[in-house]
Amino acid sequence: MLKTVIQFFILYVLMVLAQVIVFNRICLFGYAVPLVFIYFIIKLPVTLHINWVLTVSFLLGLTIDVFSDTQGMNALACTLMGLMRKSVLHLYFPREDDMTSSQPSMRSLGVSVYLKYVFSISLIYCTLFFFIENFSLFNPGRLFIKIASSTLLTFIILTAIESLRSRRNEKRL
Amino acid sequence: MRNLVDFLIKYSTWFVFTFYVIISCIFLFDKNPYQHHVYMTSAGKLTAGIYDMSHNVTSYFNLRETNEELQLQNARLEEELLSMKAELQQYQERYHADTMTVFEPVRPYKFIIASVINNSISRPYNHITINKGSKDGLRPEMGVIDQNGIVGVVNVVGENYSRLISLLNPNFRLSCKVKGNEAFGSLVWDGKDPQMALLEELPRHAVYKTGDTIVTSGYSLMFPDGLPVGIIAGSEKTIDDNFYTLRIKLLTDFSRLSTVRVISSEMSSEIKEVETNNTEKNNQKN
Repeated sequence: MLKTVIQFFILYVLMVLAQVIVFNRICLFGYAVPLVFIYFIIKLPVTLHINWVLTVSFLLGLTIDVFSDTQGMNALACTLMGLMRKSVLHLYFPREDDMTSSQPSMRSLGVSVYLKYVFSISLIYCTLFFFIENFSLFNPGRLFIKIASSTLLTFIILTAIESLRSRRNEKRL
Repeated sequence: MRNLVDFLIKYSTWFVFTFYVIISCIFLFDKNPYQHHVYMTSAGKLTAGIYDMSHNVTSYFNLRETNEELQLQNARLEEELLSMKAELQQYQERYHADTMTVFEPVRPYKFIIASVINNSISRPYNHITINKGSKDGLRPEMGVIDQNGIVGVVNVVGENYSRLISLLNPNFRLSCKVKGNEAFGSLVWDGKDPQMALLEELPRHAVYKTGDTIVTSGYSLMFPDGLPVGIIAGSEKTIDDNFYTLRIKLLTDFSRLSTVRVISSEMSSEIKEVETNNTEKNNQKN
């Protein structure tokens, strides 16, 4: 239990640092911004109580907000994301008991289900975030391109991180 | 009582959820950028410290371009200095007989050099973090420029770091005029292209042509008169017929900001004092 908590704490710090130091500076073609820190919310165990999921999601969003000067935007999007996470997973994987471990990963869910899950989460998060961010400067065409390109970029990077991690785990076994 | 506790436990998720959403919305709709607490921005000790560390690595990346721009500016300044020296010489000779002393030029502005440690250009409201703070004499509402043009205005000041509102932020409006012309307008970013901004509310009678330089008007206390801002790239259609709206290509390259200069004005506090005194007196009269 304690080991998992420490593992997740380290993941939290790593994700925040990676996002603010590296990924926040990436902006492909003026549109695509990778929002990679949601990997932390994706990886939270499904058995974790929803109140805890909301709390850590909110804190994660708030930390990113403080670093990138986006007052409350990520915090709001992350809280909404935390609420929707389980329903999204149930969409593709109705029975939790079939999972080999409580943590969503390529192995515990199977590659195709996991990819669908990550893609949906990326799409929902990018939609939420860019809608909140462009609240007052509304420009539908630009917003749509931003959401689509950022979702794709986020999805690709998240898949890359996950495949790197699962390969390393296989070597260890 | 028991029922109440049961109710609270049953719907605890919704309470927690609503609580976080309300907190987020409080941050989100707090529209006054000057009232943010320093710990809630990138000028805080921890956040700026981390940006500072990463800046130590990334600051080497653009040295070549920065160096070239500095050389160019240096050459231009040297030219200007030489021509001014020649002019001064002329005046001294001309007024020698009249025993008129040439005035020491008034220098109301002072520069504080700072490094940009965090910057964004892709968001609708952009901010910049620099590594100088109240210890170095920075105060909110000081103007910031780099070797090419205007960068932004100081907004939240921490002890060692500060956050700027970038020119690429619709919250920031800059009073500008067409060079060699006294008609002025208000420069604002429209959230699209980080190289382009709009000059709004330029009076209809103003004379301009594409390629003219836009400079600061000096009406705001943040920037001195005549600092280059951008070049006219074309005009926009407007709903209001009494004013022009021009599309301006900004001279500052926001994707490669490295070293910036904060303008500390000795006069600004004095002018401000006069202004507040005046308004207070007016209020008393009324």
